[in-house]
Amino acid sequence: MINQNMGNINSKDINQNTFDAIVIGSGISGGWAAKELCEKGLKTLVLERGRNVQHLVDYPTMAKDPWDFPHRNHLTLKMKEDNPVVSKCYAFREDAMQFFVKDKEHPYIQEKPFDWIRGYQVGGKSLIWARQTQRWSKYDFEGPARDGFAVDWPIGYDDIAPWYSHVEKFVGISGNKDGLDTLPDGEFLPPWEMNVVEKSVQKRIMDNYKDRNVIIGRCAHLTQPKEIHLQQNRGKCQARNLCQRGCPFGGYFSSNSSTLPWAAKTGNLTMRPDSIVHSVIYDEKKNKATGVRVIDAHTKKVTEYFAKIIFVNAAALNSNLILLNSISTRFPNGLGNDNGLLGKYIAFQNYRGTLSANRDGFLDSYYYGRRPCAVMMPNFRNVHKQETDFLRGYMVFFSAYRSGGYAGGEQMGEAFKEAASQPGGWGVSMMMQGETIPKESNYVALSNDKKDDWGMPLLTISVDYDDNDEKSLKDFLNQGAEMLDKAGCKNITTNDSKQAPGLDIHEVGGVRMGKDPKTSLLNKWNQLHACPNVFVTDGACMTSTGTQNPSITFMALTARAANYAVEQLKKGNLS
Amino acid sequence: MAILFGGAIVSTDILFSSCKSNVKEEFFTPEDISLLDEIAETIIPATASSPGAKAAKVGEFMKVYVTDCYTAADQQTFFEAVREIKNLSQKKYVKEFLKLTVSQRREVLTALEMEKAARVEDKTKTPGAEGDAIQTGKQQEANKTRLKDAPNRYFPMLKQLTLLGYFTSQPGATKAMRYIQTPGYYQGDVPYKKGDKAWAT
Repeated sequence: MINQNMGNINSKDINQNTFDAIVIGSGISGGWAAKELCEKGLKTLVLERGRNVQHLVDYPTMAKDPWDFPHRNHLTLKMKEDNPVVSKCYAFREDAMQFFVKDKEHPYIQEKPFDWIRGYQVGGKSLIWARQTQRWSKYDFEGPARDGFAVDWPIGYDDIAPWYSHVEKFVGISGNKDGLDTLPDGEFLPPWEMNVVEKSVQKRIMDNYKDRNVIIGRCAHLTQPKEIHLQQNRGKCQARNLCQRGCPFGGYFSSNSSTLPWAAKTGNLTMRPDSIVHSVIYDEKKNKATGVRVIDAHTKKVTEYFAKIIFVNAAALNSNLILLNSISTRFPNGLGNDNGLLGKYIAFQNYRGTLSANRDGFLDSYYYGRRPCAVMMPNFRNVHKQETDFLRGYMVFFSAYRSGGYAGGEQMGEAFKEAASQPGGWGVSMMMQGETIPKESNYVALSNDKKDDWGMPLLTISVDYDDNDEKSLKDFLNQGAEMLDKAGCKNITTNDSKQAPGLDIHEVGGVRMGKDPKTSLLNKWNQLHACPNVFVTDGACMTSTGTQNPSITFMALTARAANYAVEQLKKGNLS
Repeated sequence: MAILFGGAIVSTDILFSSCKSNVKEEFFTPEDISLLDEIAETIIPATASSPGAKAAKVGEFMKVYVTDCYTAADQQTFFEAVREIKNLSQKKYVKEFLKLTVSQRREVLTALEMEKAARVEDKTKTPGAEGDAIQTGKQQEANKTRLKDAPNRYFPMLKQLTLLGYFTSQPGATKAMRYIQTPGYYQGDVPYKKGDKAWAT
């Protein structure tokens, strides 16, 4: 089908379909590529496989109250049975299910259990992300080289620090300047507050553990918008915590509320939803990529688009899929895949461990509003040297809250109703976000025989935990219980969710950056070593995972690579 | 299949699926909704400060929720619970639940809770459970919990449905509790005195 159509393109089509840059994907990194490239004057085509979602216009549930949902924001049995994978996701509920891929729409092959959570629409998962944003530290970049796993990162903290600043200023990140080398400060808007129990836990932990820090979470919410945010027509976060529906105030950052409209304002953006990228076109004579083949999601018609540079931002695993499917004589195993490592060294983050506990007292205090972040503890394991029987470490998140007040006594009647209408005592819940070690045996590949409705090979995913993850989990549960105990909590319970990889929605790798083309796919500017006018700047590029929420790093890497690409184009190096 | 039936474990799913086939529920008639409203109202009554479960249309909510969100086994338990309330009303007062006074309704629901707990006691004494010498203490505990889980869910289920339906309704969220869709800001420490209402969300 593809080859038949190729012959039909005439020079007029080519002209109409030619841009300076093509960006594949409109999620959190694709949006940044679009913004940077358009601002620098490049005519940029953004291809999005899903439907259009326009800021405000396409947020049908954003103003709904709990009673507006027939099932009070719970899933129906049918929705759960039809969607065993995505229905495990905490945010896939009645209010936001329109922004998630349903299991049957886009099948994939799980060689090992992997919950692949996807958002196929303009804005991608930036609409529904958890919005937590922490910079990597130098220790994270130095990890693989120090501990002898994966490959050495080709960049360090100093390379990316200015680009963190660049994106943070525009995105709007709330946070406290804590002065920690394990979690460098950024360009912060005012931080969110801790409640009284969180402050108490913070004090007790920091008194008991000299090497551990407890800080308020840093997140992509406008606690006090600046001029640059007002120019984006975004306003102050209203502490609704209904973010996954799309925000009527633009209070949190998404491609839809921020980068895409900003890119459109330049007049240089062409946005094309419903456009499934089949492959990147490689010109064997010119020795470079010249464009992409696109399948129309509705008509299935194939069209080719051309550009000098191509940014691949289809989300980590789908970027792998597109490159693996980009076959040419020069690259029979996928674009840029001279070393056979494309699709390998996939990693994710370990979310299995959680704890909960009660905290007596503090009954004269409550809170107002719904804060969109938690309290966190930057990784304190193996930071300066190897200290435990497992590699790397984990970030700890916790929050305290008052839950229902109807524990005992009469279970019906006036007094019961009265008690149930009041807050009960304080609870504390804690979770881990653990670094996992990228391994060659954790990989994605194209199915040999199974294809989707558009003729694209299905992605086979083979990713699992290992012994290191089990040890790290055990350590977190032990340390978490000990810390909660020292913080004066009672009824401490630990839980291993045993959830499959993927549900963390922090999958990365497969097209990793590195210094050596023999052991990596991308150079320090996110260019394919073997095809430098193709840039991969989403999660696929990650050499290792760190313990941080990853998106702000994808954004910084994207802005950095896009600006480098523009410089190189100006110098004539990529044309 | 042989493994399933050869083992000692009889799951609640199997128990329920065996009786499911011959019971085709014609439930959720307007009369049924009224009954559910009154059951819910008994649990969460109207008070001086806020409407009760009936005004919040919790009966209608139960219909939607039980129909769309419950498994077949849970639906079965729900129908059994309502039937049991009808039976208890007749047995205790020779009247329909709807014709009972408020305190009689409470007696019926209390009896529902108590009677089922008593039945659990009986079941743990049957051979194969407590009396089985091969079972370890842990197994016995698990067995008790399992048996307890199955029949004693009638009242907790109705109570949970009522709480969910009521506190996510407009009257429940805004009158019995406090609800603000758009708080505007967050404050981590606001004074609280006993009796102040909880946030609904």
